[in-house]
Amino acid sequence: MPETPIVEFSSVSKTFVLPGAWPWSAKREVHAVRDVSFEVAPGEVVALVGQSGSGKTTVARCVLGLESISAGEIKLEGSRWDNLSERERRARRLKYQYIPQDALSALDPQQTALEAVVESLTVLAGASREDANKRGAEMLESLGLGHRLGALPREMSGGEQRRVTLARVFVLQPALVVADEPTSGLDPDRQESVLEDLITNLPEGAGCILVTHDMAQARAWCHRALVMLEGKVVEELRFPDGQPAHPYSRMLFDPWGEHDFAQSTAF
Amino acid sequence: MSILLSVSDLCIRTPERTLVEGVSFDVQEGRVTAIVGHSGSGKSLSARAAMGVLDVDPGLHAGSLRYPGFSAERDWFEGVRGQGMRAQRRLARDTAKLRGSYVTYSPQSASSALNPGRSIGQQLAIAISRRQDPAADVGAAIRDVLEEVGLPPRAAYAVPSELSGGMAQRAAVAIAIAPQPRVLIADEPETGLDPVLRRVVTELMLEVASNHGVALMLITHNMDTVHRIADDVIRIGPSTGGAHDA
Repeated sequence: MPETPIVEFSSVSKTFVLPGAWPWSAKREVHAVRDVSFEVAPGEVVALVGQSGSGKTTVARCVLGLESISAGEIKLEGSRWDNLSERERRARRLKYQYIPQDALSALDPQQTALEAVVESLTVLAGASREDANKRGAEMLESLGLGHRLGALPREMSGGEQRRVTLARVFVLQPALVVADEPTSGLDPDRQESVLEDLITNLPEGAGCILVTHDMAQARAWCHRALVMLEGKVVEELRFPDGQPAHPYSRMLFDPWGEHDFAQSTAF
Repeated sequence: MSILLSVSDLCIRTPERTLVEGVSFDVQEGRVTAIVGHSGSGKSLSARAAMGVLDVDPGLHAGSLRYPGFSAERDWFEGVRGQGMRAQRRLARDTAKLRGSYVTYSPQSASSALNPGRSIGQQLAIAISRRQDPAADVGAAIRDVLEEVGLPPRAAYAVPSELSGGMAQRAAVAIAIAPQPRVLIADEPETGLDPVLRRVVTELMLEVASNHGVALMLITHNMDTVHRIADDVIRIGPSTGGAHDA
């Protein structure tokens, strides 16, 4: 019997309705996600790639229920997710975790690295403080932060801050991790090491959605990539062998090549 | 090629440690000088020092700063080395007339660096007022600068929140070139941009720098861009100083 996918995203659309410039102006609709379908199997890492504004982050937020959807259906681990109330979702949220783009603003400036991880365990998983302290310290040590347990976010480098956000998620043993550009703003060496920590520490059988616009990262670390343009998935690539065929995908994978930039939407 | 900005043997310290040591570079007219190094290696600190801005205490320990295109002999660090914050504040006041006119700065994140409460046109008007040769018609000058960076004239009426990421980056480039500087310092202009926009912004900077004969100093850790566009590469590493490749 085939394994139940962690994520089933079926014909999902998301439209934002924006107010006009003045109270009497017509409202504006922005179709951020248009009829997108994909699945994430247990143990699979799927990249969402595309230019800024292509709808990657909106898809990621819809998966976690941080945005309501306008049409379609989302199932997580085989059961409906999109039509649940926030109260019903809360009981399951522990298993579906988010790694933000800006680690510094995601961390409490007055909490040490250990306190941030302990809070995650005590508040979300209901662990005792003693147990949380022990497990939190072990998780931080496994990510190479054993000597930084008492450090505040501003005392840590960008890479260390990212690792604290990883520790806070992995200590909960999630079934799904959604990472939204987790290496943005780091220099290339640190990007590699943070991604390695992210992928190699995923709990066994967990699915992962990696939002990125770095195609080399997607190819190196993911099983598949979904290429997004104007809210739609225009191509799906399977790695390591998949080669981009769509002109937009080719432009993303080789931005310095000869391209017709009319395909691009960001400028 | 004439040298427009010259920093030699720069050494900046805090009481606990040395932040930058032995960094030297020349920025030449019509050339692209890339400053590369890891996060925390002192790239941005060196660039700020090159603009006469030092805000660490005691700060400047050794080095010299020259703007040969403005004053052939003057060493702007004279009387500042080892003298602490008071002398550094005096240096910042003395060099204020050059910042935004002789040397301009394009920041890392355009959308957060632009003034959210002023239209792009208002911000451009301020930048144009810093020109050494004042513009006769500011409105026409704004339209010319917008056209040069590929923005429509109506962008002058937009506030930054109404621009896409790519347009905001173009507006930041427009503001940096509007005073007709001799040296443009671009501090990691590609951070957070997708690969296509990264190429577009890089090519735009190169084009406007070449059109105006501006010396471009690019701070980056993206070696792909460096290999493609830089004429001179200065590597800054922890306590290794600046290694120079041509």
